[in-house]
Amino acid sequence: MAEFGIALIATLIKVGVLVGVVLGVSAYLTWFERKLAGHIQARLGPNVVGPFGLLQPLADAIKLATKEPIVPKGADVPVFYLAIAMALVPSLLLFSVIPFGPEFTLFGKEIKPLISDVNIGILIVFAMGSLAVYGTIFSGWASNSKYAFIGSLRKASVIIAYEVVLGFAVLGVILLAGTISTVEIVESQIKSGVWYILYQPVAFVLFLFCMLAESGRVPFDIQEAEAELVTGYNVEYGGMKFGAFPLAEWYLNVIALSAIAVILFFGGWSGPAIFGAFSPYIWFLLKTFSLVFFVLWLHWTLPRFQAKDITEIAWKIMLPLALANLIVTAVVVYVLGGK
Amino acid sequence: MDGYGALLVFLIVAIVIALAQTFLNELIGVKRKDPHQDYPYECGVPLYDPEARGTFKQGYYLLGLLLILFDIEAAYLFPWAVVFRDIGLYGLIEAVLFIFILSLGFVYAWKKGALKWQT
Repeated sequence: MAEFGIALIATLIKVGVLVGVVLGVSAYLTWFERKLAGHIQARLGPNVVGPFGLLQPLADAIKLATKEPIVPKGADVPVFYLAIAMALVPSLLLFSVIPFGPEFTLFGKEIKPLISDVNIGILIVFAMGSLAVYGTIFSGWASNSKYAFIGSLRKASVIIAYEVVLGFAVLGVILLAGTISTVEIVESQIKSGVWYILYQPVAFVLFLFCMLAESGRVPFDIQEAEAELVTGYNVEYGGMKFGAFPLAEWYLNVIALSAIAVILFFGGWSGPAIFGAFSPYIWFLLKTFSLVFFVLWLHWTLPRFQAKDITEIAWKIMLPLALANLIVTAVVVYVLGGK
Repeated sequence: MDGYGALLVFLIVAIVIALAQTFLNELIGVKRKDPHQDYPYECGVPLYDPEARGTFKQGYYLLGLLLILFDIEAAYLFPWAVVFRDIGLYGLIEAVLFIFILSLGFVYAWKKGALKWQT
């Protein structure tokens, strides 16, 4: 019983640290994104609240929290509230299988820097990615607004299309690693000494596209489409309820999927030990945030595809490519007989 | 506790966070009633059609059907990919046949125009 209690407390501490860090980083990512957007568009970005506008996320949070709660006329009230949980919970749970570094020993106990070390890590990522579509569909359906409804349908079709491509793209890496546990995928890359992006460049490009589509980033942001749909499926939400949607899909999803891309293609925490004891963690965070930065950079540089182009690219170009990549990888792995 | 138990704990924490985000405005938000505040967003004019959940493009149905075809295919291929080294040539041929048969369905849908968005 005491052992269970200790394990529970250790898990709670890990969850607390993770959630605190992730939500804090997401809040500051809004500041970073607005600064970046400002400089890309030759303006300053937030610079009034605090030095360099650094207190802006705090001001935004207070503003969102003190708004009036409004439920639109004719809305499906339980579903309207449920949509927030359905959007936020899966994108938080994506972080449960991300290993931030190797095992270490603290107070004589082996501690793994990830929350849940299950041997189906990548499957959990896909499960949570598929569940995220419910948040979108529910919010669009419950809001009783045409803009929200169209936005949610568009987003659903994008997620459906790219979820399939994502699955086939990742299968190539799984064939090489022979496991779907996130920790073991990283360890097999460290053992073979090669990052899988060298063996699977096509899969990485496909994964990158799917990452942009799943998190609703430009050039796949037809569900937001400020100019035509006025941010789409969350248009009827206000205050903190509105805040949950961009937080979940623009920030949490982007960070989590970048981290998973690092695990699958960039060798996770591997890297030369030039930062001392914390080297693996610093490498992991550096790689992850380089990808996050790349996504933000694309967001403020590219124009948007049309709905028609997005679904047709996914089904007619990317899906056949992913299937071909899978078969070629399987044949090569068979011929070389594995390592 | 390192595996699914920890996942359960995280799930509970995540639900608590989501509930906090949902009901924060009900707790500390201002409340100032206005007769038109709960109008759905529609350019400021009175609602022409009070029910927004009307007809929508049938192409979404077709994409949903295709998802069933391919997501289940992917679900079958995950265990295959994990044990591929152990089952060798037999597994390779089986999987290629499996993908080929499903590709036939995909080509059929393509030729029928299910993937064509504007018709």
